[in-house]
Amino acid sequence: MTKLLLSIHVLAAIVAIGPVTVAASMFPAATRRALAEPADPRGVAVLRNLHRICRVYATLGVLVPVFGLATARSLDVLGDAWLITSIIVTVAAAAVLIVLVLPGQAAILADDRLAGGGTGASPGGTIQGRRTAARLGMVTGIFNLLWAVVVVLMIVRPGSTTGA
Amino acid sequence: MTVSFRLLRMAALVELASLILLLANLATVHWAPVASLLGPVHGGAYLIVIGATVQVTADLRTRLTAVVPGVGGLLVMRRLRRRPGTGREDGDVSMSATGR
Repeated sequence: MTKLLLSIHVLAAIVAIGPVTVAASMFPAATRRALAEPADPRGVAVLRNLHRICRVYATLGVLVPVFGLATARSLDVLGDAWLITSIIVTVAAAAVLIVLVLPGQAAILADDRLAGGGTGASPGGTIQGRRTAARLGMVTGIFNLLWAVVVVLMIVRPGSTTGA
Repeated sequence: MTVSFRLLRMAALVELASLILLLANLATVHWAPVASLLGPVHGGAYLIVIGATVQVTADLRTRLTAVVPGVGGLLVMRRLRRRPGTGREDGDVSMSATGR
């Protein structure tokens, strides 16, 4: 049963978190492209799709900690330091995603410089938009880094006695 | 129908079905592996219902309905079907009324 739970946990992590990291990483660059070509409706369409991927797969992502906790319980490792550390880092990553990344994407999509079809393409507005995209790129990078830390912790398991 | 709504419907069905199976298992054979597998399935579906509801609607009462154990997802879908105006995103729920 432990092996089945662990398989579902790893599979959920690959299938759910993978698309979020890829789509979220593509979002800032796609924003810059959409700002550079405000008359092209495809730019906004790409942004909408990327945002939808992030939202839906972030929701599916709750399966990862759910099955992770179930696996940890059946392995009896819930009190181990490496696991508690990775739970804390996971919570931090989820908070960055829910509080910073997803609302940041939604704010860019709600921006009238993109939705207005290029009516207000002032140079100052475009610079502001680029700045917003850069900040979003930074928080997305932090999110990806936190996830990488969790994955490494799960593989290395410092201090664990349950084998390599 | 949008992706979030489809996710909500699937999670709502899994939420109720897994609860029924869990209780049936408890009442009859009480087989431990079934409980330890279906437990996380039910918990995950419950959380996905809440997350998908938050994305589909901004209405507070509908969001609180999602927290109801077992049948929360189905209740949310009934509320959305009755009052399609509660949808937040452009075209989200108006599409679901015709797309089903």
